[in-house]
Amino acid sequence: MTSPRINRRTMLRSVGAATIGLPLLEEMIGSTALGAAANEVPVRSFNVFFGLGIPAPLQTEGFDGVLEPLKPLSDKLLIMRNVDQVRCDESGINAHYDGASGAFTAEPPDGEARAGGPSIDQVVRKTHYPDGLPSGMVPTLMGGTFFRRSRVGRYVHSYNQNGTVAATIQERPRDLFERVFGMISGSDGTDAEKRQFKRSVLDSVVEQYQFFTGANSPLGSASKARVADHLERIREYEQRAYEMKASPKGAPGLPPRSKLAHGGPADPGGQGIDMPLDDLTAEWRLLADLYALAVQLDRVRFGSLTFLAAGERLRVKGDYKYDGRTIWQFDDAKQLNASGDQGCSHEWWHKFNEKKKNEQLRAHAHMKMREVAYFLHRLNGPDAMETNGRTILENSLITISTESGDGRHNDVKRELSGVFHAITGANGHFKTGQIMDVGAEGIDVYNTMLAGMGSKDRLGPKDREFKSIDGIRA
Amino acid sequence: MPRQLSRYLVLVLSFATTLFGAEDSPSNHRVSNGLVALYDFSENGGNIVKDRSGVGKPLDLQIADIDAVQRAAASLVVKRETTIRSAEPAAKIIDAVRRSEAITIEAWIVPANSKQSGPARIVSLSASANGRNFTLGQDEDHFDVRFRTTKTNTNGIPSVASPKKSLKTSLTHVVYVRNRSGQAKLFIDGKQNGGQTVAGSLSNWQSNHPLSIANEVNKGRPWLGTLHLVAIYSRSLSPEEIKRNFVAGSQGNYDPKAYAAAQLAARNRTAFETRVAALISNHCLECHDSRNKKGGLDLSKKNSALAGGDTGKAIVPGKLSDSLLWESIVSGEMPKERTPLSDAEKKQLRDWIEGGATWSLNVIDPATYAHSGQANDVWVQRLTVTEYIETVRSAVGVDIAKEAREILPKDLRADGFSNTAYNLNIDLKHVEAYAQLAETTVARMDALKFAKRFSKSENLSTDATMRDFVAAMGKWLLRGPLDDREVTAYCGIPTTVASAGEDYETAVSYLIEAMLQSPKFIYRIETQRGDGSAWQVGNYELASRLSYIIWGGPPDKQLMRAADDGKLDRNGVQQQVTRMLNDPRAIERSKRFIFDWLDLGRLDNLQPNEEKFPNWTKPLATEMREETLAFFTEVAWTQKRPLAELLNAQVTIVSPRLARHYGLAAEGDGNQKYDLSATPGRGGVLTHGSVLTVGGDEASMVTRGLFVLHDLLRGVVKDPPPCVDTRPVPTKEGLTQRGIAEQRIANANCGGCHAKFEPLAFGLEKFDGIGAYRDLDHYGNQLRDDGEILFPGAAKSIPYKNSAELMTLLATSDRIAESLTWKVTQFALGRPLVAADASIVAKIHESAQADGGTYSSLITAIVTSDLVQTTRTENTQ
Repeated sequence: MTSPRINRRTMLRSVGAATIGLPLLEEMIGSTALGAAANEVPVRSFNVFFGLGIPAPLQTEGFDGVLEPLKPLSDKLLIMRNVDQVRCDESGINAHYDGASGAFTAEPPDGEARAGGPSIDQVVRKTHYPDGLPSGMVPTLMGGTFFRRSRVGRYVHSYNQNGTVAATIQERPRDLFERVFGMISGSDGTDAEKRQFKRSVLDSVVEQYQFFTGANSPLGSASKARVADHLERIREYEQRAYEMKASPKGAPGLPPRSKLAHGGPADPGGQGIDMPLDDLTAEWRLLADLYALAVQLDRVRFGSLTFLAAGERLRVKGDYKYDGRTIWQFDDAKQLNASGDQGCSHEWWHKFNEKKKNEQLRAHAHMKMREVAYFLHRLNGPDAMETNGRTILENSLITISTESGDGRHNDVKRELSGVFHAITGANGHFKTGQIMDVGAEGIDVYNTMLAGMGSKDRLGPKDREFKSIDGIRA
Repeated sequence: MPRQLSRYLVLVLSFATTLFGAEDSPSNHRVSNGLVALYDFSENGGNIVKDRSGVGKPLDLQIADIDAVQRAAASLVVKRETTIRSAEPAAKIIDAVRRSEAITIEAWIVPANSKQSGPARIVSLSASANGRNFTLGQDEDHFDVRFRTTKTNTNGIPSVASPKKSLKTSLTHVVYVRNRSGQAKLFIDGKQNGGQTVAGSLSNWQSNHPLSIANEVNKGRPWLGTLHLVAIYSRSLSPEEIKRNFVAGSQGNYDPKAYAAAQLAARNRTAFETRVAALISNHCLECHDSRNKKGGLDLSKKNSALAGGDTGKAIVPGKLSDSLLWESIVSGEMPKERTPLSDAEKKQLRDWIEGGATWSLNVIDPATYAHSGQANDVWVQRLTVTEYIETVRSAVGVDIAKEAREILPKDLRADGFSNTAYNLNIDLKHVEAYAQLAETTVARMDALKFAKRFSKSENLSTDATMRDFVAAMGKWLLRGPLDDREVTAYCGIPTTVASAGEDYETAVSYLIEAMLQSPKFIYRIETQRGDGSAWQVGNYELASRLSYIIWGGPPDKQLMRAADDGKLDRNGVQQQVTRMLNDPRAIERSKRFIFDWLDLGRLDNLQPNEEKFPNWTKPLATEMREETLAFFTEVAWTQKRPLAELLNAQVTIVSPRLARHYGLAAEGDGNQKYDLSATPGRGGVLTHGSVLTVGGDEASMVTRGLFVLHDLLRGVVKDPPPCVDTRPVPTKEGLTQRGIAEQRIANANCGGCHAKFEPLAFGLEKFDGIGAYRDLDHYGNQLRDDGEILFPGAAKSIPYKNSAELMTLLATSDRIAESLTWKVTQFALGRPLVAADASIVAKIHESAQADGGTYSSLITAIVTSDLVQTTRTENTQ
């Protein structure tokens, strides 16, 4: 590893010029909750997605196999095997996309850039914060490290009630930092008169957006929801521009610029890119640190974090070590003896064979579990202890899932069966410390989780009978 | 109109008229398209006159003095003065007519005498004797219509009158129509009998007026006589339609049985085209289309479907138990190894067969049903980054492209285009960017000079000229008139500035800054709330639709003036479109379509394997994109050729480097035009490097074939079936990509689908992964470019000898031309097309092809179609 752990107080004392001001960070740190009472544990829900999945047969090995990195957290997790997401298959589209779109929604996609319904985190959000989150919070934070981007369903994992994307995903650590902690540049000027005029401009803008979201708006419901979302963003902008105090002298700077390819260059026509392992894990950890810090500081209660897109295409190279031992030496292109998309780690999933060792696949999956565990640990340390004596990890509903239970496209039933799932206890609502064969559809598992979180809304078709999976509830 | 016509019946007929066109309605039926309110006086008693239009919330009328009237057979005799009026404002009429700027007021009446005057109110939408939106009245021996616009007074004067002595005291059919251009006409008994121009817009229509008949709302202008029928439409009926209503008679002249049959037929057609065809497409056609025809059964066409397959009749209309299709589905035998039909789908299929198995399509096209789940969404369109840049440039003359592209988040592609409304989300970054860009834009403007376009005064006082200035500038920047609420809100800015002792220029600057962040600037706001039916769009909405579709930017002065003057009827639109297509902005917008359709942004990110393609350089990708855009401009605009000829035009425009890459003798500096008629293999957009690179380094037949199938032919294929290894197979000595493809096609498990798309790429095999032409691959294998093409829906493939023949087959096929119509229409609307759009798109296609099949003819057909002239509303009534 090239990136040291960043803790909540020191994390931003890193390299990079302070080109963007910070709100009163110390103030935020001192007051862990912007909206919650001091002794109240807020309701939170996050979706953690990792690409390419863990074939069901490997899940049966428990913590002796690819799940080993989760073992130190085993008492805080309920690992669910044999979860069926076959209903998420949409004919005509490969299951990478279907499975990813179905993760946390349990529904097949509805179009190229829309899920078939809301994701778990957004339903919980709506249930517990029907009038919006307390001022100053990011309503939904989506972050992720991903490269394959032919369809947003591959990497987006928070969806609104109507299946549209719940927020813009932040893929660079610096972007995520700015989204959570950034102030609006130029708004902290000392020209009081100019500020007053700007304020007047903003008031008129807000008034217009209020009208188009109000009772006399000429817009239909979908459009109104879109404009309401815009208004919510304006409120946030307003709060940052005019309500937060200026950053104190010597405030920490931005995280370093990302070394990885992002945007279009990250996905050269589906052909995949070369990826040094250290660069990848360094960025993952920085993103995980930032996301976890945002949660610790109560700037974020809902959202998702993506560890690689569905069907990700990377030619990974580098030595992978865990717990002092070398697990594998990655060199996908060489080991596959191919270039372009055919030289990517993705191919190990297509080559999966229960009767063989599947060493490369195992190493990749193990490595991803290590990174997921890294993020979870950030929410489980002394910094994350809350007033009820539990950590944020224990108090939150964190759902960890992926796109498939098998890497072979040729059988949807097999590919979307046995999709790995793990959840946290959500402040005592769900069992933990077990590996459970639930043998149920994802939609029933998710709806049971929603019921456990006090939500009356259910995912899936309205006329579908809800089958409660009581075994997972505490 | 039949007495007791049910609300449901009208709705069905209205839908059928919209779906199949007015010409499909029986000639003796009353026109129902655009109907807003209808009174047939068929009540047997009571003090209520029911609105039987079936549109929105019924606007029933109350008779104040029941003794003043007398119920007769399907009529109401008004014997002495009373009021007959709605208890609430006639919101549905006011909203619909104000939007459409057009109206038809129709009445079947028998005046009691030819002396009553005032005029005596026959039908009135008014608040008092001096304030109205409209009144159809009798002034002694003639009719008189007052209709309020911004060019009349509040009483709707000057009025439109029929000639003296044109009124009789016998049963009379009187109709007033006023179209969006302001042409008003009176018809008596089916013949025009008076008319004049009533200019102006309806923006000053009052929204609190009730509807009254036989008197003014507060009495004083009684009309006495017999009422047989009163109808209001939110459009101007044509003379033929008025004639039809006249022929139908005062009581509708309808045969209830014929109506019931029409109702059933319309319902069955709707059920088939939007639901049953969708389920057949999704569950059956993979195996039972014209090509695969498993078991001898082709369910894609009516004749073959009803003929059945090897085992007998698949569908027997009206006889469920004799229909093998039903039997195989309920037994679980079909669909084979695929998801079974849901209970709801089974019910739809059962109802359809039992109801007579109406089959109203020539062929079931699976592409029509690809987006069936999104049929009911109506999304506001946020400006894309490109549209935002053009809108700022057009509105205030500032080029903000560099900054906007830098700080606005990119618009992501969805369903093949980056302007798909449902995916145009909003983030904090957008809000911050819009604020920054507004500030930057204003800083680059000469605010005072700009303000002078709207006001000569530089007075900051809102009691003086500021409100007018805000209204005028706002109308320009926000693409339509502001209402009082908006003007008041914006006036808060100059008030703040004035109170701080600052000047007019400062106030103007901040006003512009605010307007550039308004939802009416950032979004294309339209009225979407209504009764669930398709409504005529308003003048300013239509102006914006035209300009964003044709230019990707806001209306110019001429277009706004046409909207102001109500000159955007079909003829007016035609004139505007012709003018607008001659503007360079139309070319730029069309290039955006090509950019999105062929995903040319992908070229920025190409990273071919360096060992395999050592001569690849980054600029080559840029030049490939420029080639395709220049080629499109040459074919569509310079030569004005049919769009389908993009597939085989023997010309290209390339840089010297790209010319060498293609094996052409490079000529001169910069991009040059090359005649390709003597160049084997090269010619048409499919032979461009920009498109050929879609197949990746290995020039994958699967990827290229699927590209042609999906993006050119609008074909649909399903997932690979179970138990097939889908990993790409590498080429080797003795085995080319084509050889691998042929093995797949020969495989019983793969061939059903792969035969539909891989042969489409056979003709491209001689082009390597980065589009260079070769006869041998890198193993020395001889390559071929002959093959065969199977057009979606066709039973047999058509062979071709070489790449050039393939391109000609594509360019001359109806399917390609039709696909281009669908793609351009989707881009124009900013949303995926659904089954409910199919019949209108078919008309667009027919019209565009009749007019030459060029880009211009296609755009013209689109903007004059109902997809642009009307808007789907959400039922909120």
